Amino acid sequence: MVLILALPPAALSGQQAQSASSQSSRYQAPVISDTGALKGPRQPIFFRHDIHAGQDQIPCMYCHYSASISSEPGIPSLQTCIGCHQLIGGTTPAHQAEIKKVRDAWRERKPPEWIRVHALPGFVRFPHMRHIKALGTTACVTCHGDVQKMAQVAQVSTLRMGWCVSCHVKNNVTRDCSVCHY
Amino acid sequence: MTDSIDRRRFLKVLGVTSAGAAAVTACGIGPEPTERLIPYLVQPEDQIPGTATYYATTCRECAAGCGVRVRVREGRAVKLEGNPDSPINRGRLCARGQAALQGLYNPDRISHPLVRNASGTFEAIDWDGALLRLSAKVREARGKGIVFLTGAEQSTFGDLVDEWMKQVGGRRMSYEAFGFEALRAGNRMAFGTATLPSYDFANAKYVLSFGADFLDTWLSPVEFQNGFSRAHAFDAGRPASMAKFVYVGPRLSLTGMNADEWIAARPGTEGTLALAMAQVIMSQHLARVPADASRLVSVLGAHRPSAVAQAIGIDEATIVRLAREFARSGGGLAVAGGMATQGANGAATVAAVNILNYVVGAVGTLVKFGADLAIGSTNSFAELATLMSDMAAGRVALLFVHGTNPAHSLPGAFQQALGKVAYKVSFSSYLDETAAACDLILPDHHPLEQWGASRPRAGITALQQPVVQPVFDTRPTGDVILKLAGKAGTFEEYFKGKVGPRVQNNADQFWLEKLALGGIYGTAPTRAVRLATDLSAVAPSLEKTSGPAGVEEQTVVVFPHPALHDGRGANKPWLQELPDPVSKIAWHSWVEVHPDTAAKWGLATGDFLLLKSPFGAQKFPTWITPSVRPDVLAVPTGQGHTAYGRYAKDRSANAFELLGAQATAYGGRAFIVSASATKTAEHQRKLATIEGNARDLGMGTTEVLPLARAKALRPGDHPFHFEETPEYAKDAVEWWAERQHEQAEIGNYKGEQPRWGLAIDLSKCTGCSACVTACYAENNIPTVGEELTERRREMAWLRLERYWRVDEHDNVQGAVSQPMLCQQCGNAPCEPVCPVFAAYHTPDGLNGQVYNRCVGTRYCSNNCPYKVRYFNWYNYAERDGKYEAFPEPLSMLLNPDVTVREKGVMEKCTFCVQRIRGAQNQARLENRNVRDGDIVTACQQTCPSEAIVFGDLNDRHSRVFELAGNPRGYHVLAGLNTKPAITYLARVVAQDTTSHG
Repeated sequence: MVLILALPPAALSGQQAQSASSQSSRYQAPVISDTGALKGPRQPIFFRHDIHAGQDQIPCMYCHYSASISSEPGIPSLQTCIGCHQLIGGTTPAHQAEIKKVRDAWRERKPPEWIRVHALPGFVRFPHMRHIKALGTTACVTCHGDVQKMAQVAQVSTLRMGWCVSCHVKNNVTRDCSVCHY
Repeated sequence: MTDSIDRRRFLKVLGVTSAGAAAVTACGIGPEPTERLIPYLVQPEDQIPGTATYYATTCRECAAGCGVRVRVREGRAVKLEGNPDSPINRGRLCARGQAALQGLYNPDRISHPLVRNASGTFEAIDWDGALLRLSAKVREARGKGIVFLTGAEQSTFGDLVDEWMKQVGGRRMSYEAFGFEALRAGNRMAFGTATLPSYDFANAKYVLSFGADFLDTWLSPVEFQNGFSRAHAFDAGRPASMAKFVYVGPRLSLTGMNADEWIAARPGTEGTLALAMAQVIMSQHLARVPADASRLVSVLGAHRPSAVAQAIGIDEATIVRLAREFARSGGGLAVAGGMATQGANGAATVAAVNILNYVVGAVGTLVKFGADLAIGSTNSFAELATLMSDMAAGRVALLFVHGTNPAHSLPGAFQQALGKVAYKVSFSSYLDETAAACDLILPDHHPLEQWGASRPRAGITALQQPVVQPVFDTRPTGDVILKLAGKAGTFEEYFKGKVGPRVQNNADQFWLEKLALGGIYGTAPTRAVRLATDLSAVAPSLEKTSGPAGVEEQTVVVFPHPALHDGRGANKPWLQELPDPVSKIAWHSWVEVHPDTAAKWGLATGDFLLLKSPFGAQKFPTWITPSVRPDVLAVPTGQGHTAYGRYAKDRSANAFELLGAQATAYGGRAFIVSASATKTAEHQRKLATIEGNARDLGMGTTEVLPLARAKALRPGDHPFHFEETPEYAKDAVEWWAERQHEQAEIGNYKGEQPRWGLAIDLSKCTGCSACVTACYAENNIPTVGEELTERRREMAWLRLERYWRVDEHDNVQGAVSQPMLCQQCGNAPCEPVCPVFAAYHTPDGLNGQVYNRCVGTRYCSNNCPYKVRYFNWYNYAERDGKYEAFPEPLSMLLNPDVTVREKGVMEKCTFCVQRIRGAQNQARLENRNVRDGDIVTACQQTCPSEAIVFGDLNDRHSRVFELAGNPRGYHVLAGLNTKPAITYLARVVAQDTTSHG
């Protein structure tokens, strides 16, 4: 087994990135004391998008790499997690406990079963790559909300057809049924 | 709008009320709250979520060795497509190849090793225990007779079995139910070589088949069909005219019905006809005859047309005319096989046809020895008969069976012999009749799960690689044998060592390249053959095979089913539901009876006819058809399994029961028997057929042109009569045109949009129905089963309609097959009647069908003149439902890009809209427009005769635009003003006079 140890630039040189950035308003993920108050389903591992994507500024595409080339954004493989967490063990006991779950899962070769947050019915096709192509790689927020600030991901948009169509009307793009339904 | 409430508004109101009711019961459509997402541990390098990966491998459904590319999505094989790199099938695939997936994910696969216990039933055993037991049995049986029986294996697997058998003192035998003994024996008779040549149909100028069903079951059907359609198609732009095709045989098979002319010679006289034609060619000096052919004069002397016409049942003038046409075409190719070579004089028939080829110089040019086909290189039936007597005499202590099911094709004889074998081991993946009689079953991987290499012909090694993880706890038989033989390593290493390069340092590169291509493709040089020194045995005897005297005997022809073949396809619902290309019957077998015979015996369609041969008796429902000689009855094989899973078991009757187990003089098996036929008192059954009417009835749905007229066509000609719009419909048509114009001005419909269209060349289409199965595979079409097919509730979005073609005396000369699918009308009758806009017109010219909008009024289907819309009467995807079409793990092959429809929803062909959208998405990512040829529909992709072309009718440089303007082009039911997007190109028939009913 060859491990691919490729770390995102932000994670490798977090300090440098911080000093290089002239703005001191960089997002700091809060300390969560009561996870029960968070919106959205509870996940088997308390994976914090706000730390990874917000504080550490790892681009969405680093993990969900296929969103720009495929219909499906994909769930990152455990290997992707372990690529960083082989080295990064966490600074607080709470973080360390969660990272330990990742390492245990890797050792036991048993991937975590995430609870799905965003789902479309089976008769709808949503090609992620077309939307990324049109709106850019940071456009994930358009539908998924400000995930960079979510300690636990919750659905913010209805993902219903009216909501889809309103955006298509606004942007003057196709409203043909057979673009999504087939 | 001031008018009163119309239907659409009424239903709108109704919709709101019922939606409220739905909200109360809280069963709206929404995401499941507890759906799980399980990530990969390690992302496979070559897979992107949501994007298909293709792997090249080799189809093992028959021995032809076609290359396939398997579309894999998230680790599941979802579709097979032909591999364009393969020189055999050139990117095309037949229905049986398409259905290989249903073998892989078959719900009745044996999921782990089984052993027979003391009480005689099977129980599970683990692999280690099974192998331990087996190696003990092998030690015990040494010296007492060990036999390994395989199917057609021209492969490294076969080599391994040979090596192992040598090691343990056993022998390998191979068996195919439909062997090619006559072909080998006939080639030895005429040329002194028992090899099978390759046939170049593509360059033939005249094709004459003596019973050889080269489009459906003979040797390499996809390759031959592709070549044949190149020769036989009519191309208006090409100066060369089409090659005429004449079929000689007692019944019209799929191959036969494509003939321009049918010569229904008496069964058993085909060889005599060939010699009579050769005699005419020689005596009238019609061809440049090879020098050594002069020796033939004495053989041919007795075959003057005048002398044999009576026996053949064809008049002298016709024989002479055929001989002239054949010789003067300057590229005549005659082939013999199938029914003509499965009688008592089969080998002599082949030899006679060889001579016919020889005198016109086809041997060496169109019939190429050297590039020999390995397809028929199984042991002869005579050798199998010897094995059976050895078994019956207790001279076989241990028998292994792999890849063949003789207990089905030799019911009685083999089964009895099997009972005398001390220990029987099956490697079958399915509980077929042979496996059911064995003591130990060690299920093999499916071919799509394992490594391998086969050599379908000299010069070509077709490679096989695993494309998915094994579905069950099975093991490659190669691995099992290596272990039993005490050798290290896996079969993968063994086969790579055999096939791979001698120099090991570039092995990785070698395998990367060759596996991507799907094989190692080379050519073998043509070897010249000369007439054999002894030609005395060539003339086929004309004596009739006679049965017991006193009873009125009928000649019964048992022929291989085009889809189920010898029965191996019967456990795949796609193949069961695929209507036979000739009879259009699905799910059961039948007996073909000529209308005159049926009238004589007072038979009606569906009456059970009891056929009693000296070897067995079986009942078959009658199908009355003019495509068989009046003195011949024909029954297909394939059905009548007593095991082999839920789709095959206890279905109809086994035609093999009628056949004997004695070998013929040339070592083959006779498939033509004499039998008595009695009408039974049993109540007649309704045939599970999709046939509407066998005749076109002058509706102009199929158009046929005689060759002379087709040749005279110039660009811009429109030979087909288009009905004017009737006076009463003028207003409606104008109103529609105005609305179209208005629509073109607004939103979606504005701007440059493509108009997707299809061109189908009926001159190329053979009716083989590969497209039908490809459509099932691509579009998640459910199979509905025998009962619902009888009730005409089949779901095939694409069906093949077969219309008989008759001559001036109303004798059937062949058939025209027409694929019928949604015509994607520009002015579609289905659209305005849909109350909920589920059927609507897309901006790119499709008749969209939005499943989630559809409420199932079925108005659209009622208003469709082509009858190409299909309604989900049941929930075919329901777990354990009565009509469940995808029981686990069959559901694994569902295409994730296509919605699985529910009960109450109308569905139909949408020109594979998922492929259109996929290509558009890809083009957008690459910042370009969709190019002509980017989008290939599933039917077009698989079509062995390349009859279907898809593209944009608004693109003046597209192939489909060019074909739509062809003078042979016409629209079906054009008079209805539906403006279809499908252009059919009329069938051209190479005959002076032609008509169709």
